[in-house]
Amino acid sequence: MNLSRLSGTALQYAFLGLAAFLSIFPFFWMVISATNTSIDIIGGKTTFGDAFLANVGKFFTEVDVPLIFWNSAKVAVLATVLTIAVSSLAGYGFEMFKSKARDRIYSLVLLTLMVPFGALMIPLFMMMAKTGLINTHIAIMLPTVASAFIIFYFRQSTKAFPTELRDAAKVDGLKEWQIFLYIYVPVMRSTYAAAFVIVFMTNWNNYLWPLIVLQSNETKTITLVVSSLASAYYPDYGVVMIGTILATLPTLFVFFVMQRQFVQGMLGSVK
Amino acid sequence: MNNRTILSRLAAGMFAGASLLASTAAFAGEVTVWCWDPNFNVAIMKEAAARYTAKRPETTFNIVDFAKADVEQKLQTALSSGTTDTLPDIVLIEDYGAQKYLQSFPGAFAALSGKIDYSGFAPYKVELMTVDGTVYGVPFDSGVTGLYYRKDYLEQAGFKPEDMQDLTWDRFIEIGKEVEAKTGKKMLGLDINDAGFIRILMQSAGGWYFDKEGNLSIENNAALKAALETEQKILQAGIHKPAAGWTEWVNTFTSGDVATVTTGVWITGTVKAQADQSGKWGVAPIPKLNVEGAGHASNLGGSSWYVTESSAEKDEAIDFLNEVYAKDIDFYQKILTERGAVGSLLAARTGAAYSEADAFFGGEKVWQNFSDWLAMVPAVNYGVFTNEVDTAVTAHLPSLGEGANVDDVLKQIASQAEGQIQ
Repeated sequence: MNLSRLSGTALQYAFLGLAAFLSIFPFFWMVISATNTSIDIIGGKTTFGDAFLANVGKFFTEVDVPLIFWNSAKVAVLATVLTIAVSSLAGYGFEMFKSKARDRIYSLVLLTLMVPFGALMIPLFMMMAKTGLINTHIAIMLPTVASAFIIFYFRQSTKAFPTELRDAAKVDGLKEWQIFLYIYVPVMRSTYAAAFVIVFMTNWNNYLWPLIVLQSNETKTITLVVSSLASAYYPDYGVVMIGTILATLPTLFVFFVMQRQFVQGMLGSVK
Repeated sequence: MNNRTILSRLAAGMFAGASLLASTAAFAGEVTVWCWDPNFNVAIMKEAAARYTAKRPETTFNIVDFAKADVEQKLQTALSSGTTDTLPDIVLIEDYGAQKYLQSFPGAFAALSGKIDYSGFAPYKVELMTVDGTVYGVPFDSGVTGLYYRKDYLEQAGFKPEDMQDLTWDRFIEIGKEVEAKTGKKMLGLDINDAGFIRILMQSAGGWYFDKEGNLSIENNAALKAALETEQKILQAGIHKPAAGWTEWVNTFTSGDVATVTTGVWITGTVKAQADQSGKWGVAPIPKLNVEGAGHASNLGGSSWYVTESSAEKDEAIDFLNEVYAKDIDFYQKILTERGAVGSLLAARTGAAYSEADAFFGGEKVWQNFSDWLAMVPAVNYGVFTNEVDTAVTAHLPSLGEGANVDDVLKQIASQAEGQIQ
């Protein structure tokens, strides 16, 4: 009995250990590779090397790092703020205002989740070309602002929002936008935090759409720069890894800063 | 009086302004170029641009680098949506995909017949950018192939450089067995999930996945059959070191584990990067298949420049490509020395860099040899679906090693390829 429990625990830990290894190894490999030369990386070296500074130096001479980071940060932050503002309003509206058409419209919104981006790409591109927005950062942000997934996420969370709060606020004479701004937003802040992490990550890592829209070296985001470095006939993998690390840091940072709220937001905002 | 002076001055000023406008209006635009690889195509294009602006300072260049797949994706999106004003003036396209773009989007690229002297380029490079007798594009880098071999290993096994000339693949395999017996080294690295080796062999016999008219040609394709048979013989003889993926394949020879490499000339830089192997390498023509029309010259990879028809700077872009890529021999010396790029302009061989003996290859004039082979690469029709058929071939390579009948494999490849093309 005791023995079988012990072996069960052992099995559990073995599994957890394996899972931990699988998720940590790529990061480990990324960091190790950033300190090695391309030749060592190809040779499969798995220990720290001494090429870290050389790789950083090369990355900073080949890439206009401040400009690229400014581009990425601008796009990711603005798109995230806009997305959350628009989609949380929609989620709030869908849950609070009862009408016959509501669920039909909501189903239509959810239906858009099933359309792959590849199918929308060409019509979107034509729209942007006609409005003269090609090669601008606005063109990257606009299509992401009304996000069906974030609307869904906010509506689901809003279900836990006590309607008594809204009723009480109404009795006190608050208008709807005031209820939203002064009651709903503070109460739902962990939902907002979680949504921020999700949307920021998606926008920061966004690749296909910026690739289609951006046309010049000056407007490129970090994902495009890393892709370009990695696709050389003889990529300098050490330099590529520096780029990958730098591209990963902001999402890691955002996640760790908001980790507590993120977990709360996932469990449900209102206690 | 006073008024008249003012008027005449004004008129003179306007005239001067107008003539200034007229003189710059000839060529004053910005030429935008899309290409990939910052250390190769992008750097080479910057060199070409610098040479052109030295003569015509009013022209400026905007060279944008994207990943190769990204250039293709952007090109495809802009062309399919018909928003051609978003296209660059010049774009780099991989040779295997050229016919796909030229045939799928007729009128999208500028016809250059009559504007460029194509007789100076390697014929196979011109053929791959020709549709119905009209040539589009300007040939750029070549993947002319060679057999790179370790002189030291082969000498240990009793073979001299003379023995490596004019080989057949059967003889190559025999030598491989000797080399392994005497030195313990494998003869070549082989990635079973990459059909590049098959493509080299097939084109060396003037064959491709498509016939001259561009129709799929698999089952009765003698060159393809001979190529598959050769790969099967190599796999069964066990003279290869298996490699999974590109980096592992490169590692087979940089680490000194294999005695030969058969691939495009662009590998030279990687081979020479191993300074401690200097003097140990030689380059011979690749072995020959045992079919009619087979030779010792072939190609792997390569790409070329195309001008978009909708470009506002079309004439300027064509003039630029013509002045540098079709005429400037010194330019080709520089990109060979600095970037290891072998262009497809045959006259480039008359320059200093091409005539130099290379100490790394024991003083051989390797570039003269490559230039000889470049002119002999058989012209084939790369067709519209090379990459699709290549996937079908790759899927069936592992079964060759298990001893599958080559005719059956050809049948399976044909049916899968037909399915993918439709």
